[in-house]
Formats: sequence, structure tokens, C-alpha cells
Amino acid sequence: MPYSFPLGPYHPALEEPFKVKVQCRGEVIDSATVEVGFSFRGIELLAQKRNWVEVITLIERVCGICSNTHAMTFCMAAETIAGIEVPRRAAHIRTIIAELERLHSHLLWAGVGAEDIGFHSLFMEVFTLRELVMDTLEAISGNRVNYGMNCIGGVHRDIPDPKQHLPALDRLATGLAEIVIPTFTGNPTALARTRGVGRLSREQAVEWAVVGPVARASGLDIDVRKDQPYLSYAGLGFASVMRPEGDVLARVVVRALEMVESIRLIREALLSLPAGPLRATEGLPEIPVGEASIRTEAPRGEAFYYVASEGGPTPSRVKIRTPSFVNIPAIEAMVVGQPLADLSIIQASVDPCISCTDR
Amino acid sequence: MAMLKTILGNLLRPSRTRAPADMPDVPPAYRGALAHEAARCTACGTCAYVCAPKAISFTQDPGLSVSWRFFIGQCSFCGLCAQNCPTQAIRLEAGVPAGMNSAAGDGFRLESVIPLRACTRCGAAHVPLPASTMDALWGSDEAERGYCPECRRWAAGARLRVAFVPAAGEEVRHER
Repeated sequence: MPYSFPLGPYHPALEEPFKVKVQCRGEVIDSATVEVGFSFRGIELLAQKRNWVEVITLIERVCGICSNTHAMTFCMAAETIAGIEVPRRAAHIRTIIAELERLHSHLLWAGVGAEDIGFHSLFMEVFTLRELVMDTLEAISGNRVNYGMNCIGGVHRDIPDPKQHLPALDRLATGLAEIVIPTFTGNPTALARTRGVGRLSREQAVEWAVVGPVARASGLDIDVRKDQPYLSYAGLGFASVMRPEGDVLARVVVRALEMVESIRLIREALLSLPAGPLRATEGLPEIPVGEASIRTEAPRGEAFYYVASEGGPTPSRVKIRTPSFVNIPAIEAMVVGQPLADLSIIQASVDPCISCTDR
Repeated sequence: MAMLKTILGNLLRPSRTRAPADMPDVPPAYRGALAHEAARCTACGTCAYVCAPKAISFTQDPGLSVSWRFFIGQCSFCGLCAQNCPTQAIRLEAGVPAGMNSAAGDGFRLESVIPLRACTRCGAAHVPLPASTMDALWGSDEAERGYCPECRRWAAGARLRVAFVPAAGEEVRHER
């Protein structure tokens, strides 16, 4: 007999509030409805009431994991309106921070995913590796989260000794190659819980308009870093990762291989850090009348910003579309016909960020 | 067998969890609490303007002093105040601030008093410029060092006027 089952809004799989209403027949899911909006903060409206400098701090709080992406994208939009070109050294530093953030986000996800399939020892290993990335970010920016690196026209902080950060990257690469990737792709326990689970076909991926690693795991080769290179990506030679299977395992593999690529990008960027100034402008920014829309590849996929200025001290509109906003509804397509017990790993496999989605 | 070896090995090793007193070192770039140097501050208000959570505020004791105030419970450690301060009066300390219980109540508070000085020409109380800025502008023994912003403006105007109309210099009087 069919029954409906509310999962959430508290701790459905992760420590963030969203709700999945599941229709079940026995142990098998018939359909699901996702509800979000439990932690709405009104950041877009607040952004219209803060000046151009304060907004950067505010926008950085859109997401606790990919904070840099948001601040960076907002600054890029403001720079586009004002016609400021960021110095090459600043673009490189932004790339390094963005890729370190992707590493930290993917490792956090891998840990949470391992926890969701009951693989606690793998969770501990992954979080030990993540600590290396957090330490590197702290050493560069001075903060473990909300790095405060971006300003309109460049970056706040320099990387005075780029080579100092290479040993941590080497240790991370070893950890990924020896522990994380072999365990996720070879361990029978991990495979049993991920292979063939939560499938999203290429057609469904197009229909639900998913982005980022979820799209790339379903055979859609879309990545803003490749399709519309920004910052230093064109010069660093970026290779995107794509898998055709569309199940949870494919999403794990895509993220794991992306981490390997990120390590390569960071190493290359650190070694080829050009000399020059950190900022193109001095003093408080003055943004003329205009509008700009900017896309960047956040760890979870494409982040879109529309920023409009009327020339005053505050932006007149900041529209944010985060990757999780389009990835979360796709859970509804993934869970049909799956056992109820797999719901939590399927939800976790899109790496839902409710903080971003609710803004 | 392999598992037993691992367990025995782990038993002989020290704990991987750190004690509260055994905190890891923070990197030199760490963003801790703010420090303020009253002698460099001109109370221009840039730091309060760029502070999104409003952790920095100014209070006035009219005619006597201006106070720069900071409350760590509201600080987001973005460093924009230090970055945008035109006279480098603010810096982020590298030390870890002490724990605090809530954003509303206790936590590190800082009040830095900037005494006002009477203008040597008109007597108006004003915030003096930092010594280094005055040295760079006028040297050490210039009368304008003690002037308030209004009188400085007048003095600059008077110099310009004398340069163009030498005779006008004596006629013009500045009244406040």
C-alpha cells in the first residue's frame, strides 16, 4: 500500500534544512517532492541597502563552503560595469583560491557522502586530507572560511612565497591517489551503495537543467572554465572531466578527478605566478551606471550573477542564481524507483547547498 | 590478522586528538582582533563606512575627544577596515582572540580615544593629522601644523591668492 513519508526539514542527509516528501510503495520510492526555503535570509534585498564595499562581505556569506566564488563573481561583475581590468597577479591569486575552495568543497562532500553510506573511517580519512586544504587557505588568506580575499579591482592579500604551499599539495595528491579514489572506486561496500544508484540520464539532465559535476556525471560536457574561460583558466590549460553513467558513482568519480585537475591547476598557477600589483584601483570603488551578468564555475556548478548599478553608493540590483538552485530539484528525477534507504546518498550526491539556494 | 596489527599499533601511539591547551600555531597571516593607533587616526569614518556588520563605531565627547570603538562579537574579520584605512591606523593582530559566549554580550571590546586639539589660529577643536602626514606636507616647524581643517583651507587659499595678486595678501581677513 502506498504511503507518503516526510524527510526533513531538519537533517535529511546533511546539517541543512530542506524537506523531501516521498511517496513510497513498500521500500521503493514512487515519487518525491523537494521543498526549500527554510533558511531564507534576503541577501539580495540587503545587497541593495549596503555600499559597494560592504556588499562584498555580505555576498561572501551567501555560502559557507564556496564563499570565495560568490564574492569573486560579484567583484567581477562590478569590474565589468566599471571597465576595470584585474592585474594578472590578482587573477592568478583568485584562480588559486577558487581552486583551493573547490578542493575543500569536494573533499567535504566526499566526507559527507562516505558518512551517508555508513563508511565512517573513510569520512575521517577524507576530513584529514581536507584539513591540509584548510590550512593552506588559512596560511594564504588568514581565515579558514570566508577568506575575504576579493575587492573590486583585485585581491587583498598576496601569496609572497608560492613554493611554500607545494608540499601540502603533494601530500593531498598522494592521499587522493592512495586512499580516496581507490576506496570509492574499488571498495565493495562503497560500490554497492553507489553503482547504478540514483541514475540521471543525459536527457533528464538536459530536461532538469542541472549544472556542474552532476551534469558532467550524466554525460553533459559543460564547464564555464572551459566554455567561457575567465581569470587565468585559458592560460593554465584546463581539462574538464566527464562521465556518461549518470549514477552516484559517476558523480563521485567526476568530483574525485576534478580534485586531481584542481591540484594540477593550483600547482601550475603557484609556479607561474606573475609579478605585478594586486589591485587595479586605489581607494573606495566608484561604479558608474551600468549592468553586467557574469558566470563562473563554483564547486557545485555554474553560478550566475546579475549586478546593476545606478551610479550611487549601493548596487541597485544583485541577482544571484546558485548551482544548487537547479541541482536540488533534479533529486525528484533521481529517486524514482530507488529504495528508500538510498534516498540520503542520492540527495547528498548532488551536493545540495541550502545556504546558497535559500540565500 | 592485519586488523589486530593496526589495533596494537594504534594502542601504542599517542592520541591524535589535541588537548585544548595544545592549540596548533596560527599562520602569520592570521586575521585576529583589531588594533587601533589613535595617533594615526583622523576619525575620517572610512572604517565604519566599509564595515558591513557595524563592528566599528565612533562616539564623540564634544570639544574634547572622539572615540573609535570596536566590538569583536560583531566583527567578521574581513579586514576591509585595515585595507581601506587611509592612514594605516588599523591593523589585524596575528593573535587568536579569547573565546566569547555570545555576539550580543561579552567579548573583546576596544575603545581608542583620539583627543581633539585646539586650532592655533582660531581655537576650534579638531582631530589633528598624523605626525608623519604633517611632516610630509609641511615639514616640522610650519605654523600650519596646529591649524584646524578650516584654517588650513584658508591658509592654502591665501597662499594661492598672494601668488596671483601679491597686494591682496594683507587685506583679506578670515573670520570664524
